Amino acid sequence: MINWEKFLNIDRRWLYLLIAVVVIVPFFIRMGLPVVPSDEVRSIYNLVDSLGPDNAIFIGWDFDPGTEAENQPMGVAVLRHALDRHVPVFITAVSPLGQGLAEQGAASVFDTRIPGNFVYVPWAEWEPFRAAGYVGRDSLESAWKAAGNSLPEGARGWVFEGVDFALLGYLPYFGLVVLGMGTSIATQYPTDAYGNNLREMPMLRAHKNLREIDLAVTLAGSTACMYWVVYGTSRVGLPVAFGVTAVMATDYYPYIQSGQIVGMMGGLRGAAEYEVLEHEGGHTETTGKAYRGMDVQSLAHILIILFVILGNIAYFAGGFHKKTALKSGR
Amino acid sequence: MYETIGLWVAAILTLAVFSFLYKENPLYRFAEHVVVGSSLGYTIVITYQRVLYPRLVEPVFLHGESLVLIVPAMLGLLYVTRFFPRIAWLSRYPMAFLLGMGMGMAFPYDMQAYILRQIQATLIPLYTPGAPWYNTLGAVVIVLGTLAGLIYFFFSKPHKGPFFGFGSKVGIWIIMIGFGATFGFTVMGRISLLIGRVQFLLSDWLGLLH
Amino acid sequence: MKRTVPMMIAMIGGIIMMIQYFIPHQVSQDVFNYYTEWAPLVGSFALVLGVGSLTRVHIHKIRAKAPNWPYSYAVLIPLYLIPVFAFFLPASIGGGTGKPSVFDFMYSRVQIPIQATMFSMLAFYIASAAFRAFRAKSALATILLVTAIIVMLAQVPIGDLFGRWLPDTGLWILRFPNLAAKRAIELGVGFGMLATCLKIIFGVERGWLGGAGE
Repeated sequence: MINWEKFLNIDRRWLYLLIAVVVIVPFFIRMGLPVVPSDEVRSIYNLVDSLGPDNAIFIGWDFDPGTEAENQPMGVAVLRHALDRHVPVFITAVSPLGQGLAEQGAASVFDTRIPGNFVYVPWAEWEPFRAAGYVGRDSLESAWKAAGNSLPEGARGWVFEGVDFALLGYLPYFGLVVLGMGTSIATQYPTDAYGNNLREMPMLRAHKNLREIDLAVTLAGSTACMYWVVYGTSRVGLPVAFGVTAVMATDYYPYIQSGQIVGMMGGLRGAAEYEVLEHEGGHTETTGKAYRGMDVQSLAHILIILFVILGNIAYFAGGFHKKTALKSGR
Repeated sequence: MYETIGLWVAAILTLAVFSFLYKENPLYRFAEHVVVGSSLGYTIVITYQRVLYPRLVEPVFLHGESLVLIVPAMLGLLYVTRFFPRIAWLSRYPMAFLLGMGMGMAFPYDMQAYILRQIQATLIPLYTPGAPWYNTLGAVVIVLGTLAGLIYFFFSKPHKGPFFGFGSKVGIWIIMIGFGATFGFTVMGRISLLIGRVQFLLSDWLGLLH
Repeated sequence: MKRTVPMMIAMIGGIIMMIQYFIPHQVSQDVFNYYTEWAPLVGSFALVLGVGSLTRVHIHKIRAKAPNWPYSYAVLIPLYLIPVFAFFLPASIGGGTGKPSVFDFMYSRVQIPIQATMFSMLAFYIASAAFRAFRAKSALATILLVTAIIVMLAQVPIGDLFGRWLPDTGLWILRFPNLAAKRAIELGVGFGMLATCLKIIFGVERGWLGGAGE
């Protein structure tokens, strides 16, 4: 005879231990189950893939360290894709802590010790070329190569700060910042996060306000992502895509159907889908952290579903649905 | 050296926080307090670098231009009066400026994004020639489900009769399906966050994953 | 002066900003530009309030030797140490905001791991709740649970092993019934937001005036 009450009141630390085992062990037994991209993610990928050096996108690092595990892989994936297509990328942040995460995300893409990354050329470093009049991407790269610079083995290309990439960083009252950027990006951000004058940057000269931007991808763990829709899409028709945590993702399906957002990456799964598309499209050599987490995610879901089922079996088999209260355990 | 020490500190702090799962302890409490101070300390630095320096210190005090910016700076400084009870009421002025104008500015945009576009997107044809049956069913669910959900939240009329009674019943079913989806995604999100930390410990710290 | 004037400022400012949306004129554009440029500057001073209050609370705890008072040092030291190192000390002893620095270390090696781990612990709590709290006690609770299980399986690659129907069903739920539910809720929230905007502008909602004396 099973003592259902004892079973239901099992010390919760045993449940914690089971979760820990299920989240650790699968990392060592790679199943490599395929991840099939959804239309919601594919539409973001296709839009970025259709852009080139004459376009520009924003990536909003609009989350805090708490949701880093879900949002960071999305940001890294989109940044990688855009840089590989030579699409200029402006990076902003809704919170001060988000700016730090943006710097870390960018640093991971610019770490040339890892193959498949990009070589970052800071603004000050190519100053002589600027002075000599090389500001167009192609001419600058040619001149840069002619000056004896060569790509390290495994690197995918150069990223010139101010031409391909600008980290604008954090500003408070971000809704107003988006509104203000509808008129002028440089008024809101006179300098980038490193103090460089934004007005001198070729990518800003070609894209002065949000009307001249082709997409904003906001990565968020809060409703901050809506700033881009409410003040960007509504005011200047800015195309916006979401990369949000799974907890929030279900809330934003109405905005996909209404056409207010282009698409959505929901949680780690959304990031994994983007990584798969990117890898299939030849933009990366391997899939990233999000895809690697998917096997673990599968097994953890199965365990939680088992918990729900077992909990219910015990509850009904023990006849607790007829009682008013069940003694609680620790 | 910097990287190695950093990795170890990060790993020890990660384990310190996890130790709470076994039982509350001083190490966890320490980490909990440090994070509050460091988050605000970091915010001070970034706010100065990103806002006060480029928007106030540099143009006004270093270049002597845009002197008009002293006006918002003075207004902002009024926040400090909050610490002096006799003149604390002055801190209402910057709040009034931000809140009143902010609300006025937000109103039309909120109306457009949250209401008008959403209503417009609900007024869709129920049947599109050539669409698969499940999309047709989906369109019906969107139109009637939204209406039913709204009826459920409409408390000014008793939920009785064929329209309000039946409508609110359908509404609560639809809302429960919505909550179920959110619950499923919440589980997914929580597990993902844990995966992130485990990846850090196994890969970055211990170097066990390749 | 103490309550009426701020309320008037909020009302007049709110009305002006609403009008400027509907009347595209150079003057209204100028008002808009000033506001978007000034507001972040004004708002950033609110940080002083946060720092001041936190300091006050913890100094008080230390002085009063309140329970757990030594932990207050764990709040105050990083709070002031980070800016001091970032602004005033040379890079040779860990100052500045570059890498390596105390500023960078405290953020990337202290702040991020602690905050990310705190959030990740929710995985354990939700697992425990799944076992102890989610009961199919009624038809409505059952539909919630069944939907959750379908969506959970549909969102992970292992769900595909049951056949394509499972992920497809999961997506259908998200795109249609879930959408309808969320739209009904969001419309409610949207109307609530608009009402709050109007209530603040016209002085019906006065909660924001509180906490600063009479």
